[in-house]
Amino acid sequence: MAALTADDLAAIASRIHDQNASWIRVGMSTCGIAAGAERVYAALEDELQRQGAGVQLKKCGCLGMCAAEPLVEVNIAGMPRVIYCRVDEACARDIVRGHVCGGKLLQDYIIDMQSEDAS
Amino acid sequence: MIIATINGIPVHVAEGTTILEAARQVQVKIPTLCHHPDLPPTAACGICIVKVQGSNKMLRACCTPIEEGMNILTHDPEIVEVRRTVLELILSNHPNDCLKCGRNQSCELQNLAAAFGIREELFPKFISGIPKDDSTNAFVIDPDKCIHCGRCIEICQELQQVWALSFLGRGFSSRFAPAAGMRLVESPCVECGQCSSHCPTGAIFELDETVKVWQKLQDPDNYCVVQIAPSVRVAIGEAFGMPPGTNMTGKLYTVLRRLGFKAVFDTSFAADVTVME
Amino acid sequence: MITKTVLIKDTTPGSTSGTKEFFDVFTAALRESKLADEIRLVRAADIGVYNHGIVLKILPDNITYANVQHHDIKRIIGVTLKHGNPIKDLLYQPRAYQLRLVLKNCGRIDPESIDDYIAHDGYRALSAALQAGPDTVIREITASGLRGRGGGGFPTGLKWSMTRSTPGNEKYMICNADEGDPGAYMDRSVLEGDPHAVIEGMLIAGFAIGASQGYFYIRAEYPLAIERVQKAIDQAHAYGLVGERIFGSDFSMDLEIRLGAGAFVCGEETALIASIEGKRGTPSPRPPYPSVKGLWGKPTCINNVETLANVPSIIRNGSAWFSRIGTENSKGTKVFAVTGKVRNSGLIEVPMGTTLRDIVFEIGGGTASGKRFKAVQTGGPSGGVIPEHLLDTPVDYDNLQKLGSIMGSGGMIVMDEDDCMVDIAKFYLKFCVDESCGKCAPCRIGGYQMLNLLENISRGNATLEDLERLRLIAKAMQKASLCGLGQTAANPVLSTLRYFEDEYREHILNRRCPSKKCTALLQFIIDRSRCKKCGLCARSCPEKAITGDKEHGYTIDTARCINCGMCFETCKFGAVERN
Ligand SMILES: Cc1cc2nc3c(=O)[nH]c(=O)nc-3n(C[C@H](O)[C@H](O)[C@H](O)COP(=O)(O)O)c2cc1C
Repeated sequence: MAALTADDLAAIASRIHDQNASWIRVGMSTCGIAAGAERVYAALEDELQRQGAGVQLKKCGCLGMCAAEPLVEVNIAGMPRVIYCRVDEACARDIVRGHVCGGKLLQDYIIDMQSEDAS
Repeated sequence: MIIATINGIPVHVAEGTTILEAARQVQVKIPTLCHHPDLPPTAACGICIVKVQGSNKMLRACCTPIEEGMNILTHDPEIVEVRRTVLELILSNHPNDCLKCGRNQSCELQNLAAAFGIREELFPKFISGIPKDDSTNAFVIDPDKCIHCGRCIEICQELQQVWALSFLGRGFSSRFAPAAGMRLVESPCVECGQCSSHCPTGAIFELDETVKVWQKLQDPDNYCVVQIAPSVRVAIGEAFGMPPGTNMTGKLYTVLRRLGFKAVFDTSFAADVTVME
Repeated sequence: MITKTVLIKDTTPGSTSGTKEFFDVFTAALRESKLADEIRLVRAADIGVYNHGIVLKILPDNITYANVQHHDIKRIIGVTLKHGNPIKDLLYQPRAYQLRLVLKNCGRIDPESIDDYIAHDGYRALSAALQAGPDTVIREITASGLRGRGGGGFPTGLKWSMTRSTPGNEKYMICNADEGDPGAYMDRSVLEGDPHAVIEGMLIAGFAIGASQGYFYIRAEYPLAIERVQKAIDQAHAYGLVGERIFGSDFSMDLEIRLGAGAFVCGEETALIASIEGKRGTPSPRPPYPSVKGLWGKPTCINNVETLANVPSIIRNGSAWFSRIGTENSKGTKVFAVTGKVRNSGLIEVPMGTTLRDIVFEIGGGTASGKRFKAVQTGGPSGGVIPEHLLDTPVDYDNLQKLGSIMGSGGMIVMDEDDCMVDIAKFYLKFCVDESCGKCAPCRIGGYQMLNLLENISRGNATLEDLERLRLIAKAMQKASLCGLGQTAANPVLSTLRYFEDEYREHILNRRCPSKKCTALLQFIIDRSRCKKCGLCARSCPEKAITGDKEHGYTIDTARCINCGMCFETCKFGAVERN
């Protein structure tokens, strides 16, 4: 592949950027994996397929709330963007069935933090 | 040329001169332990620390190049206290068997302790008790007496390129030893003797067979002869306080006969023959 | 049709059913107001606010109410939920925010996708830097006030310009990812969550100093970080962002990973260089500094992971943007790994100047047990403890140093009243004693002697003169050790002595450990009135020091007891007492 130019960056960015799309992110750094994020990821993947939900599933790094891993951040069009904590496989399936497909937020799993993010 | 002061005395030295060297030029003695003039500084012991005006750190004089305008202080109560504590720490890790040690009266650690007037032990003794290595016919390694100056390793690896000695382990249990922990006889050691002649303490010492020789000489059933190497006739003079280079061949023959050797052979005869060929 | 979501959490310490109760009341009130179909109520597991009673967060308005009472529900429904107006007296004003600059992509992007990084402004800073030229880059970094995050806080711009100005056509850039402090894992998280940011920082640094080769020195205990960095390097290589003629410019730079073999001292820059060169990883005297004579004798710049991760956004947003954040002499943010007895252990990133109190109590949520806070330890084994009365200190390099601690790489360990300061000092010192390379006498022997003194104190075998001995050795180590490890190893001891000398004296004079941590000083006895004669303690005792039977009860033979505390842990009825 030929070396990238500065213009290529913008092209790649616009290809990837799809802010409105629905997505699920799973924290998969050492802290998340140690807490079972790999099993959660597999459960989400499997359940999304079963339900035929067209949601992008993504492996990400650590959000910082390591004591509350595995963390799953969910952004579904028309719903508030939330982070679920201490997710296990059953909860992962509930997220897909309840939140993604049913339009319901799960009780007792949401974690929030006070932060200002940089652009 | 660099201009600086040491204890208020101006010094003019070439760039790259260390604080230690500069101090010597103006007759200021900074105590050292691991430093050896033949070798690059290993900076291990921490005895030669000095203060530089404007910094609250203490720097090692042996390896710090003097810089333009530095005002260096080599002695004040704080510096001396730190040096003394470091020395006491080193002594707490060194056996007290000076009377039995081959390096008695030629030991740099002993001299330093004397210079600091050490009279009692401030800290409990911790000696590792690693066994001696007397596997060769040349040296005895006594790791407990090592002060980790690193001279032997520097000599063995960098100057002689033999790489028989190295540091093993870490922290308090680190020790100098033949590489990979083998016995010296199994190591690449060529018995050149540079390590023992640079060791400041009794950690590496020539194997001493004086007692055995006396026993043989006194045994009437033995016919003892001796052969000397060419260098000895001069080296022995220095040991008796003669000016370096004094030839002692005649005296040496006489002494050996008086000790009881029946015949004295001299390697230099064969050396001369070799040269004539 | 649902229009708003309300997150509910009872943050009263120790409350277990408050959230549920309030949730039910609120649900009923909504039904009454015929809003049940429009408002979604959700019980949160954690709402990011602590010790403020019932807390509500209303989305999408992003309004947070604290200390909400049942009688406030009507107002909230009427004013906020129906009309979207905030209620002033209920509004929660956080005293401290996290500000995620370094961590901005962590948990957001896929660390294994270079495209995702590019979509989040990735590699634009590199492209801009290549156009601006090395001098401008160094000027920007210098003006930003960025200081090294690896512990020392050395101004990064100055380090770059020193390396740049040393003559030589071969120079090296090294990223220090040896992170070995106990309790610290900021760098690991950045490498795992956003490896391209560090690579971009490396390339910009390499360009600025004139290096054509860079090394990541990553400790081997970080396999996932190593894997992700390697993947990222390969991807960047495929895009021509690493290697020959980057972005079609004249600048070429290669990156490689070198593994550290688990020695803390190899994080020290001269030891790190020796380690990369294949030598025994021991420090050497500075000067010469690596910027003059570093790897293979060539000018070398070593920067920490977090330092480098800051670089792209500084170049992208400008030095003025960065230097607005933080305090006079410490700019930007700092990532801390907050661990220990804190409720929310994890990574946080706050602007420099945030107070320790805000970090521990606002963001960290206070102690996990609800017990009294005692101290916070910063700077790992090179740092010190900071007691409660100094918690209002704004965190920056200089303030922490004044308190006898250091910023260090960012470990922050919270301690409560169960933590014994002698024990803590012993823990950190033991770490340094184990990790000392053994090269210089003050560190090798001084550390060992100090540890021995501390052990005697924690066993009640010490005198007050031993405190003087500790101070004497500490001074010698600080002044005469060769590298930072030895120079700072005594800090945990000195700072606990400074703020908690009483505790030391209590151990020495009264042979008592106030936190009941030093087991040698404890005595275990069975309280007959509470003993249920179950015999569990006797069975758990490894020394068979507990005798008796189910009829007559049990007693501990103090002569045989080794103070292991097994019986104390085992007893379900609190009948074993520790004094
Ligand atoms: C014993 C010791 C351990 C160190 N460990 C690390 C480390 O793990 N990571 C790191 O970045 N710096 C470490 N440092 C600091 C480095 O020597 C060096 O100052 C730093 O990497 C420079 O980068 P910075 O200017 O970006 O902070 C350590 C220093 C000492 C004395």
